[in-house]
Amino acid sequence: MRLSRRDFLGASSAIAAAFGMRIVWRDGAAYARERDDGGLPIVWLQGQSCSGCSVSLLNSIFYATIDDLLVNTLDLEFHSTLMPAAGPLAIAAAEKAYRRGGYVLVFEGAVPSEGEYCELWPGLPAEKGLLRYARRASLIMAVGSCASHGGLVAGAPNPTGAAGLAEEYFGTRVIKMPGCPAHPDWVVGTIAGILATGAMPALDAHGRPVEFYGKLVHDHCPNLQDYKDGIFAKSLGEPGCLFELGCKGPRAFADCPGRRWNSGAAGEPGYNWCIEAGSPCIGCAEPEYPDGMSPFFTFPPAGQAD
Amino acid sequence: MATQLKINPVTRVEGHLEVDVTIEKAGGKDQVVEARVAGPMFRGFETIMTGRDPRDAVHYTQRICGVCPVSHAMAASLALEDAFGVTPPPNGRIIRNLVLGANFIQSHIIHFYHLALPDYIDTTGLLDMSPWKPRFQAADLIRGPLAAQLVGSYVQALAVRRTAHQMAAVYSGRIPGVANFTAGGSTERATRGSVSTFRPLLDEIRAFIDTTMLADAAAIAAAFPQDSELGRGPGNLLAYGVFDLNDDGSSKLLGRGRYAGGAEGAVDAGLIREYVAHSWFTPESGGLHPSDGVTEPAIGKDGAYSWVKAPRYEDGVYELGPLARMWVNGDYRRGISSMDRILARVQETKKVADAMAGWLDELVLGDPVYTHAETPQSALGVGLTEAPRGALGHWVRIEQGKIARYQVITPTAWNGSPRDDGGQAGAIEQALIGVPVSDMRSPLEVLRVVHSFDPCLACAVHMVRPGTRAQRPAAL
Repeated sequence: MRLSRRDFLGASSAIAAAFGMRIVWRDGAAYARERDDGGLPIVWLQGQSCSGCSVSLLNSIFYATIDDLLVNTLDLEFHSTLMPAAGPLAIAAAEKAYRRGGYVLVFEGAVPSEGEYCELWPGLPAEKGLLRYARRASLIMAVGSCASHGGLVAGAPNPTGAAGLAEEYFGTRVIKMPGCPAHPDWVVGTIAGILATGAMPALDAHGRPVEFYGKLVHDHCPNLQDYKDGIFAKSLGEPGCLFELGCKGPRAFADCPGRRWNSGAAGEPGYNWCIEAGSPCIGCAEPEYPDGMSPFFTFPPAGQAD
Repeated sequence: MATQLKINPVTRVEGHLEVDVTIEKAGGKDQVVEARVAGPMFRGFETIMTGRDPRDAVHYTQRICGVCPVSHAMAASLALEDAFGVTPPPNGRIIRNLVLGANFIQSHIIHFYHLALPDYIDTTGLLDMSPWKPRFQAADLIRGPLAAQLVGSYVQALAVRRTAHQMAAVYSGRIPGVANFTAGGSTERATRGSVSTFRPLLDEIRAFIDTTMLADAAAIAAAFPQDSELGRGPGNLLAYGVFDLNDDGSSKLLGRGRYAGGAEGAVDAGLIREYVAHSWFTPESGGLHPSDGVTEPAIGKDGAYSWVKAPRYEDGVYELGPLARMWVNGDYRRGISSMDRILARVQETKKVADAMAGWLDELVLGDPVYTHAETPQSALGVGLTEAPRGALGHWVRIEQGKIARYQVITPTAWNGSPRDDGGQAGAIEQALIGVPVSDMRSPLEVLRVVHSFDPCLACAVHMVRPGTRAQRPAAL
């Protein structure tokens, strides 16, 4: 799907600026001067969420730091965790964005079947709010496993009837960025790619950007040679491939092995990631997470791999 | 003439929160005479965990909250270790403390700068774009050079809290959602490389706390002297304690303790009960200890207004959090008010960060981090620890090698609780009484008190009756 150039024209130059320059903040007075009104409009709504994907986004640094994003790149018109406004003033900000339309709707968290289980604000159950704000969005991003596929909230027996954003309803306007939480680079990198090309990214069968979810964790795991040589950790905290302890790397698609988590600088891989920390991959970005990935550990360790 | 004010969404908290206050003129000033605090979101975590492999609780319960996942990982690990009868080796305990400490720091920084600070400063001319616009206006907001300095700190703090998460990841693999915590210790080991990666990140953060964060908190306290007299609440404080300094947990950086009626007391977790008279749960769910907890929802129940239960200690209303921890440990005794909560939180940030430097020295490179124990067929376990915003307890019952019951009581369940069966208001509800409201359109005075507790609603509301399942339409 081709995105409206009008929607993203202003934002493209802003994100280019964010990528091209490192801004050193010295005092408060500097910030106001740096940005005009060209930011990419975002309305970020939370359903049945833990805010983990929002916290993860705050760790952004690889493509752009979170302060660059907030000040220079994005026009974050509604995000209940960050905005100073509350109550009717906050709702008015969301409604103003709605009337203008053309924003990117980011949805974090799952959506319950009963309105009583989650309301965005008075009189607006999560499902109704999602449908309303989706109507005038130029693009919808389901950030995290809950918004993508229901995630942990939809784990058996799914007591609240929770679900993610179904492709059949929202169609190709939805980009799914599962992960528990979503890696900030997956979110920021996807936005950057759209702004650079003006086009939707290539998506896999589950609606995930191929650029970030196209590789099997196992195929790029630093322990792959141990796996091939049959060197398996027999208990946690031991060296060797974690396959026999329950690692889901052979069924998990994500670029964690190379990208790693919690990067410390622009363009640099992160400090660590689950498998390198000696912990089996739990397949948190797969549609069958968590039920199809549980139990996360195998004790006693499974027999020799075939 | 009473006026009702409803604030929903209360922003700059984790999750969904509604505050309703009744305002009347008293002593010539409009002030809050009654308050109701409600959690309008509900997921059903304990039900989802029933029947699962007990070890997975460490990963599942972290998803209760993306702000304090490490505290849930710690509580779950401790509960399982209690049930399994296993103690982590010293390196495992220390590594877990380092990761938990890193997350305390990031949580306290994000609360002070990004959640609380906007209630005290006017950012007009400094941050004139969303999400900082629109914003409330009030006569008492900090303006001028101090506002510019604080906005500078706000932006710098975005980087420092990220650094705290980078530091955590050195041992946790990633964060939010740490990988290394497990029943029996940690999966990540201490190496020369990891220690030398961790230390400069910690040094950088400690420098920020010492040179910037403490001074910024003092500046706000000086600018709002009246806030040291407001928002007292029940005046009873409770802490389970956190950061075990020895294998049996008898020594902690922040010890267990209680302060009630002006006197210190011991903590017996057996005296905790949860009440539901004003929560959307059946009467049978009330008055129980968490290890026997029943949680049957009753949507539309008469007199109920929240998905949060009302935990009480010996039927008393308690405040939990950094002020409670620092108070019962004798680290902070300035007072109990909304500003004291902020100051105690900032001072605790320093206390934890400074202690972490010593823990790093205690690691013995290459020593084991994990002790394995088989999952018992049948066992009970309790894990008591602290989240950044207060005492956190997990209670697990294992039957036939699976989770038969899992109960969590979070700090915001205490602080943000509705009235209990005896009609006693929750801690935040009590703290709001007497708070002036100068402008109904700009309820900053109310928000300051609410924010001082650092509420986390995803944590507070997480239960639903086992076996109930809502019918789902074919597609959403």
